[in-house]
Amino acid sequence: MSYVLTAQNVYKKYGSFQALKDVNININKGKIVGLIGPNGAGKTTLLKSVLGLDSCEGELKVLGIDPYKRRADLMKEICFIADVAVLPKWIKVSQLLTFTENTHPNFSIEQAKQFLSKTKIKLSHKIKELSKGMTAQLHLAIVMSIDAKLLVLDEPTLGLDILFRKRFYDNLLNDYFDNERTIIITTHQVEEIEHILTDVLFIREGEIVLNANMDELNESYFEVMVNQENYEQAMTYNPLTMRKVFGKYIMLFHSTSRDVIETLGEVQRPSVSDLFVALMQEGESA
Amino acid sequence: MKTFVALLQREYWEHRGAFLKTPLIIGAVTIVVLLLGYLTTERFDQVMSNGQAIELGGQALQGIDSEKISTVIDVFMLTTESIYHLVLFIIVFFFLLGSLYDDRKDGSILFWKSLPISDTQTVLSKLITATVVVPVVFTACVILSHLAFFIVLSLLLLINGVNPFVILWSNIDFISNWGAFAIGCFVQAMWAMPVYGWLLFASSFSKRRPFLLAVFVPMMVGFVWYWYNAIFEFNVFKIGVFKTVGILLAKATTPFTSGLGFDFENIDFDASNQTKLELIKSMLNGLTSANIYYGLVFAAIMVAIAIYVRRFRNAT
Repeated sequence: MSYVLTAQNVYKKYGSFQALKDVNININKGKIVGLIGPNGAGKTTLLKSVLGLDSCEGELKVLGIDPYKRRADLMKEICFIADVAVLPKWIKVSQLLTFTENTHPNFSIEQAKQFLSKTKIKLSHKIKELSKGMTAQLHLAIVMSIDAKLLVLDEPTLGLDILFRKRFYDNLLNDYFDNERTIIITTHQVEEIEHILTDVLFIREGEIVLNANMDELNESYFEVMVNQENYEQAMTYNPLTMRKVFGKYIMLFHSTSRDVIETLGEVQRPSVSDLFVALMQEGESA
Repeated sequence: MKTFVALLQREYWEHRGAFLKTPLIIGAVTIVVLLLGYLTTERFDQVMSNGQAIELGGQALQGIDSEKISTVIDVFMLTTESIYHLVLFIIVFFFLLGSLYDDRKDGSILFWKSLPISDTQTVLSKLITATVVVPVVFTACVILSHLAFFIVLSLLLLINGVNPFVILWSNIDFISNWGAFAIGCFVQAMWAMPVYGWLLFASSFSKRRPFLLAVFVPMMVGFVWYWYNAIFEFNVFKIGVFKTVGILLAKATTPFTSGLGFDFENIDFDASNQTKLELIKSMLNGLTSANIYYGLVFAAIMVAIAIYVRRFRNAT
């Protein structure tokens, strides 16, 4: 089994600040992985290392390549959108496509033009004339026209309105993703992407605190609506979080089996964002 | 190779205004100055002597020795060319200063780095733009501007009944004068190389203001060196760093005189003795100086550091 990404004991220090601690992950192809963590948790540091933008200690391989040593080679096979609006302001759309075509062996300019024909973006536009949303569309069009094995998206929709965000992920899923490809996404708007994720990675203070696929999550984390009469009993199972709504308690449990939990009340699948909040709080109180 | 050509093209796209429009504007200015001069002269002539002076002048022109006319044209061409050399250096100075900094400032470096282009290629493309692309564009613009100037001048001569082909065109030595500019650009690049390398380093390394790093750090070093010698060695004439940088800048801005020594015995004050070919010979002769090679070594080290820093510095 060859992994798209393997990290063994990866760590990174800035002076005395430990940005990454002992990160161990393997990512298979065909996955859509959400890398989720609070601000300053090390998401960007980890992605920078993966993309060869910064060095790190330990063994990190992306498609079998050491990213920092051979970034230029790696970029033939992977692409990334780091933040919106990083396209150079002065360039024309047509120049940008020509430049990408001349420098990227796996880029199809016809395909990019086809994607763009469905938008309001014209080839004669300069980037500075485009709105933020259109710039993101253009960037996505370029990235989707690159035949890459791994796509890394770091807050790709920050500051865009809901219509653009929705279209962005729809395009990504329908026109781009297939089982040969792998996508890693970070975003603060977890709710919007959780239905497309196959795996989640939670990161806190430079450490990976949860590494699971969605099915595993659904089999081990349960959200239960507990009535007043079952409250005492439910508390004995140590809920991760609890909140009170309309006289009922909504509790989040971590359990290996559904059977016991079901006796407490109506069981639901917890959202990734609730789970995230629960796990982050757990870390703070511990 | 295809990638590298694309990188050079990219620089041209981004800086077309500075690289192409500036030299063309200088050309336009020379023509405007010519027309203003002519119109003023003509106006005065009309008022004061009913246009006789220009008529007599035209006749007198036809009597002048063609060798002398040729010299005047040479002086015109070489003088304007040295203005272009100076402007070229200034443009390249600011281009290089921003070349590895501006994309970090606006974040577009993250797009450039998402393409399969190594940092070595990127940095070298900036250096080649400075030393090859800009000089080639400038040479083309010098040729265009000179031709346009001579055509306008020809029209003025025709109006006044003087045959421009006899007086003007047959006396222009295009090859040597334009050749002097092209070779001047090469010589200029060689002398300026340590400055260019330093600018790339400053642009790549600086987190806030590349200009301050590029200009004030050498000045501080110069001051420290000077006062150290003045106070501890009692030698107020030892200006080491300033002298080196000053000579370098002088040669990098005016390559036509770069072949001349800087001790007084070697300076040839009588410029009229220097023909165009001697000028070219003198410039190339200057390149045999060992200082050139020290400069190239310094430039190579600076460029290497710029590449090294470029690999991990992605923001400002």
